[in-house]
This record gives sequence, C-alpha cells and structure tokens, in this order.
Amino acid sequence: MAESADHLSCQEVVELVTEYLDESLPAEDASLFEQHLNFCEGCVWYVDQLRTTVETVGEIREEQIPPEAKERLLGAFRDWRRS
Amino acid sequence: MAPAQAHPRSAPSASEEADLVARLRGGDERAFEALVERHYATMLAVARGYVRTRAVAEEVVQEAWLGVLNGIDRFEGRSSLKTWIMRIVVNIAITRGERETRTIPFSAFAPEADEPAVDPDRFRDESDGFPGHWRAYPGSWASLPEDTLLVRETLDVVKRAIEELPAAQRIVVTMRDVAGCSAEEVCETLDVSEGNQRVLLHRARSRVRSALERHLDG
Amino acid sequence: MIAYKFLKLDGTSVFTGFRWPIEELSINTWIEAQVDPCRSGIHVCGTEHLPLWAGQTLYELELKGEIREDSGKLIASRARLTRRIEAWEESVRDRYTRMCADRAHELARSASPPLEQWEAVVEPSVREGPALLGFIAARIAEELDGPSAYTAERARQSVWLVDELGLET
Repeated sequence: MAESADHLSCQEVVELVTEYLDESLPAEDASLFEQHLNFCEGCVWYVDQLRTTVETVGEIREEQIPPEAKERLLGAFRDWRRS
Repeated sequence: MAPAQAHPRSAPSASEEADLVARLRGGDERAFEALVERHYATMLAVARGYVRTRAVAEEVVQEAWLGVLNGIDRFEGRSSLKTWIMRIVVNIAITRGERETRTIPFSAFAPEADEPAVDPDRFRDESDGFPGHWRAYPGSWASLPEDTLLVRETLDVVKRAIEELPAAQRIVVTMRDVAGCSAEEVCETLDVSEGNQRVLLHRARSRVRSALERHLDG
Repeated sequence: MIAYKFLKLDGTSVFTGFRWPIEELSINTWIEAQVDPCRSGIHVCGTEHLPLWAGQTLYELELKGEIREDSGKLIASRARLTRRIEAWEESVRDRYTRMCADRAHELARSASPPLEQWEAVVEPSVREGPALLGFIAARIAEELDGPSAYTAERARQSVWLVDELGLET
C-alpha cells in the first residue's frame, strides 16, 4: 500500500540540486524534486541561481600557456621527434 | 527530465582524438601544439591541487608533457586521451607533492564532515512552523540586468571564490565546470568515486553561489 | 465556507507538524492564525486543490474570518474540523494513485515519439503516493499540450475525487 509522500522541504531540496542537474537523482526523487519546485517559488529561484552560477563559472576564460613555457615544450617536442 | 547542461568546451569526439594521437606519433608539431593549448589550463589546475606553489605546478605540467610524449606509442585508447594525460599529471604531482611533504591525502577526496549547501539559519526550524522552509526566499537573478553576470567584476568574484575553495573542491569544480570535463573523466583522473566527486562538486558550487549572492545582493 | 485538508494518520499537518484535535471533532475547537501565505495561517484545499495535496487522511473544515485564495490553496485565519471524510481510505487512495499512473502512461505513450524518460518515472514513483502521481500525470499532459493541459488534467483528477468521495463542490 502506498504511503503518502512527505513532500520535500526546501532544506532537503537545496541538497539535491547538484544531483538533479546532473540527472543522477533516482526517478521518484526527481519527481518529488520537481513537484516541490511546482509549489515553491523560493526553490525555483535557488535552482536558477545554481544554474546561473555554473554558467558563469563556465565563462571563465581558461588561462593560456605562457609563451616561454610553450617554447620550452616545443623544444622538447622537437628533441623527442628526433630521437 | 532536467535539461542536460552542455558545456561551452565540450569534449572532442573519439575520432578526433584518434586523429590527434596518430599525428602526434607521426611527429606533427601542430598537433602537439593544439593538444598543449587545449589541456594546459586544466593540467595546471589539477597539478596546483597537489603541490605547494604555482611554479612547482608549472614544472609538473612540463614534466607531464614529456611523459605524454614518451608514452604516446604505448597509449592504447582504453581511456580518453585527455584522461590519460590528466592521470600522468596526477601521478607526477603526487610524487612531487610527497617530496615536498604537501600532498592532498586521498582522504581529502572523501568528504567527511557535513557541509550544508545553504546556512541552516536560512530555514525555519521546529519552533517556527514549516520546518525546513525558507525564512526569506533567495533573490531572483533572472530579474538582474542582462550582462551583470558576464562583466569582469562578477567573473573576478567567481574566480576568487574558486581560488579560496578547499583543494579537493577546487580541482573538481575546475575540471567539471571550467574545463567541461565529464564526471567520468574526473573520477578516472582523480581516482574518486562518482558519489564523492558529486559531493565535492555540490559543495564547491554551493560556496561559489554564496559568494556570488553576497556580491549581487550586497 | 467549507474546505478540506489532508492530514497525516496521526492528525498532524504535513508541513508544520501542527497537531489537529482529531479525537475531539464533536467539540469543534476553532483554530486561529494570522494569514500570511506559506508562512502562517490555516492552509486548506478547495475541491480543485485536492489533487495537489492528496495525503493520508482527509478532513472537512469550516472556515471563517479572513480567507485568502493563493496559488494551489486557501488560507484562513479561523477554521475548525467538522468531519473526517471516511471514504478516503487506503483502497481508494490506491485506486486514485493507480488511475493517475495509468493516465501518465497513456499520455506519455500518446506522444510521438513516446516520452520515455517520463514514462520511466511513473512506476517507481507509485510508492510515494497519490500527490506525486497526480503531479506526474499533469506534468506529462503539460509536456504534450502546454499549461492549459496541466490545468485540465488537474481538473479531471479533482472531479474523480469529488465524485468518488461524495464531496460538495
């Protein structure tokens, strides 16, 4: 017999966000998660903040290799190629 | 059901990789250069998690590339090229780090103490009715002016927040969210379980979000 | 005004843990609270909201004082339990849950291509109960035909409950 679900609390939801965005929540937990979002604007905004954070982190330009380091590596490559 | 996040720097295909390996073995300098440019930053970030200074991290990366060249003929393609390269970095970094008595012990990749994503004070408790519910809703960033999040200042806040993370969290979020590595690549590179990797990512992202929030609301 | 509220088997509120006087319905104690949606006040269902909150036991209430309508619920400053809806018991709950699950399957399969990811969610969610399955069915309807389909599916669920339980609308 199916016991009625305890709806998730906001405090539980914020701990599940990474798994949810990673699509690694078990099916019924993902449903409970979405159900909560359906009712709770605060958590919708929180999830959105998390998504935005990840996107912003993704905008960080990775640093380029400094020219001297690159020259050194190319030199090592040519040595390796020769041997 | 949740939309999968496509990272701006998605991985090359298997055939692209096979092509690069072949060209490398054939002594194609352009191929080597492209490989270096693609992976340098991530290799540096990974090395940086294991050794004391940036200078040492740079040396580790140089040494790793030598390892790549010396080992490329034996590379069998069982893992991706990228993962194989990163593992070389990790191994050299650990050796270096041990010598300088500053390694992340592997236990650092197994998150122990609880670290809530959000300060528990921001939720109501038993005495307050609605335990577990927000006291005050977090802000809606969707209503911010469009380029707020892309300006230099905001990116600096995020960069600084990542710099200040505990090493294990920093490596994972850098690999996943800056470099666009997959969860599998991170697990294989750092030799951590998927669960641990996710916890570290979760905590890292939560901290960065908090820093962003303080900057945007403050 | 008449309204409804789902409580846990022990008579406590799902979200606040507030203990309602279910043993003493005849005494008709009025409960009072300031209305502040989601923060304070007596949160109850009109018949149209029943599917959202479907829980373990169902009670009818009488409302007085300030009554505010909010998304998915009503909030009152004053209310008392009048009777328990006995018809809402285990086998009916299960039948309702199964009805929602079957609808979810039907809707997911009616899409082309079928909504496999959503379908995969249905059976594992059954043990979580009627509220979740109602949500899933309505969400799948929304995937197919937009927000009005979500509302329509919820309305179907509400009609099922009202008819089955013999409630006043």
